[in-house]
Amino acid sequence: MEKPIITFARWGNYTIAFKTIFEQLGLEVIPPEKTTSQAIAEGAKLSPEMYCFPMKVTLGNYLPALKKGANTIFMVQNVGGSCRQRYYGAIQEKVLKEAGHDIAFLDFRATPKDIYSTIKKISGASLLQILKAGRFFFKKLHLIEKIEKLAQFYRPREIEKGITDKILQESFLKLDELKTEKDFQKLKKEILKRFSGIKIEEGKDLPKVALVGEIYTVCDPTINFEVERKLGLEGIEVYRQMDITYHLKKLIFPWKDWIIQRKINPYLKSTVGGHGRDAIYEMLHYIEEDFDGIIHLLPFQCMPEITVRPILEKIHRESRIPFLSISLDEQTAEAGIDTRLEAFMDVVRGYRQNKKIIKN
Amino acid sequence: MTIGIPRALVYWKRPHFWETFFEELGFKVLLSPSTNKEIVEMGVKVADPETCFSNKVYFGHLIWLDYSPPAVPKCDFIFVPRLKATEEKLEYCPKFFGLPDLGKILVKTPILTENFDERKEKFEKTLKRLGGKLNKNRGEIKKAQELAFLKEKEFKKKEKQEFSLKIQSKKPKIVLISHPYNLYDDYVNLRMKEKLEKLGAQPIFIDEVPIKTQTSSLKYRASTYGSEGKEGDKVLFAPQKLGWPKFHWEFGEEIMERIKEVLKHDITGVIEISSFGCGCDAVIKEFVEKTFKQNKIPFLYLMIDEQAGEAGIQTRLEAFLDTLS
Repeated sequence: MEKPIITFARWGNYTIAFKTIFEQLGLEVIPPEKTTSQAIAEGAKLSPEMYCFPMKVTLGNYLPALKKGANTIFMVQNVGGSCRQRYYGAIQEKVLKEAGHDIAFLDFRATPKDIYSTIKKISGASLLQILKAGRFFFKKLHLIEKIEKLAQFYRPREIEKGITDKILQESFLKLDELKTEKDFQKLKKEILKRFSGIKIEEGKDLPKVALVGEIYTVCDPTINFEVERKLGLEGIEVYRQMDITYHLKKLIFPWKDWIIQRKINPYLKSTVGGHGRDAIYEMLHYIEEDFDGIIHLLPFQCMPEITVRPILEKIHRESRIPFLSISLDEQTAEAGIDTRLEAFMDVVRGYRQNKKIIKN
Repeated sequence: MTIGIPRALVYWKRPHFWETFFEELGFKVLLSPSTNKEIVEMGVKVADPETCFSNKVYFGHLIWLDYSPPAVPKCDFIFVPRLKATEEKLEYCPKFFGLPDLGKILVKTPILTENFDERKEKFEKTLKRLGGKLNKNRGEIKKAQELAFLKEKEFKKKEKQEFSLKIQSKKPKIVLISHPYNLYDDYVNLRMKEKLEKLGAQPIFIDEVPIKTQTSSLKYRASTYGSEGKEGDKVLFAPQKLGWPKFHWEFGEEIMERIKEVLKHDITGVIEISSFGCGCDAVIKEFVEKTFKQNKIPFLYLMIDEQAGEAGIQTRLEAFLDTLS
């Protein structure tokens, strides 16, 4: 086989970290293109009509990379459990080959052993090298997740509007360019210092909104039309628990599932695949934490999220917390989402006011 | 005491079994009527708009069995099993997992349910627990379950005989591929069978195609390729060799097995029906279509939902049959 040039499934800002693994192992890698409306349209054109949205998007992200010469695609399967994510690789390989792309498709399961053997096979690197690359990957990943969380905090409080996003984007660029592990600490310090230098309004009373739902749509700002940023700039603090670390922790510590199940027992007595149960758990948790609104994001017809949505709506009716469910697909338009978000923000502010009046 | 059973979705996974089981235990069984327009409308009204059509129909049946407060309850319990996995360690559709919980939100009648997870527990044992919930002793449950199994077997046998008759028919033989809850529900599939017969074709349900030693072959595949993903399974590059990935869904494996079997016979055309919003069909359809295309058998894909018009389907069926001759 000719020299493998790798591309992989894009996942929000975490793409930077994934790219690192391949770079560290000395493989040639063309990262997947940023999600744009054109990429979505191209992906949707190739994929089966009824398939779920993230599959169409990731497919659309590969295409420009394939044009640039990539010939090997990495796709992980079985992230979600019982849902369709398991077959992304199989379907994508089928449609890409039918569309005339000559590619090697590496479709592996999300177990450490499978990941190791797949990477080993393609790169021929030693265990030590792979572990080193893995360590660098996790360092970058944690920093990305950390600055995303910092941005959620600073955005609604910043005095100079837009400065947080500017620093966030620049940090991502610098992280993307960083190739050596030994300079990582320096960069980390620099980034964190820039964040702590943002001037904020102290003691501002902010409504809090939580994002729950399907992991891919919640984490990727390019597909959820930057919900986090839009809410933040309007002076609403956004929280989200869902990220890769959360998902990995759940894989490593299975008792987390048990805790979740115990909490949601009055509503749902079984797993429904994907992160269905987590959405209910998180919603109940946020209500206890006195949040002012919940936004539920899901790809159109996502099986687990659709199953739990009536339950989330029931919790919403019982607790009266503002709730907005947005399903995303290739036909969702930004203007529609904006209008709904604006209306939702008004509801959230009103809810917070009412809560205060009742308390006094 | 009366037990209500919605005649939709999970009921069709084991038709005749449940009503026999409960009747033999000494309960009255109220089976909801065959799907009709009102039931579908009721279901569509209460269900999540994005859930699949079959689920909406099921909720319609649930509502039909329920009562509104001043009226007298139609039944004491509504039976909604939570089907999770089969003996071959293959899972059911994830939408089945949440059915009892979603049902609880919709109806006021108490829901009778039990987890049928044969990865963890034998089917008979679960039945015992179910019977225990209804205060029946082991002897009674055993007798009822045996009779129910017997009845199920009888129907299977009849089906098998019918299949050998149908497959020898001289008319153009059309295989209908779908889930049992779409095939056997005449309202839902827009009387596809009747329509095909009128057009002079011989419809054959994929469910009627017998597979030899059903469990053993499935078991073999499940243990070889691993539905649950055990370490050490040869999974990495297995899908390419098979032509389709190993499905972890019970119907996925079953449909592909039956297709392999039906390809041995001389068939004229294939129609796949799937309900709008069915996530599993989105996966399976790709490979079903590919298999028939490779074998050069005409293939038609029809989608049904609450708005599917009969006239539209009729036109498409006629056109499809014209291309066959």
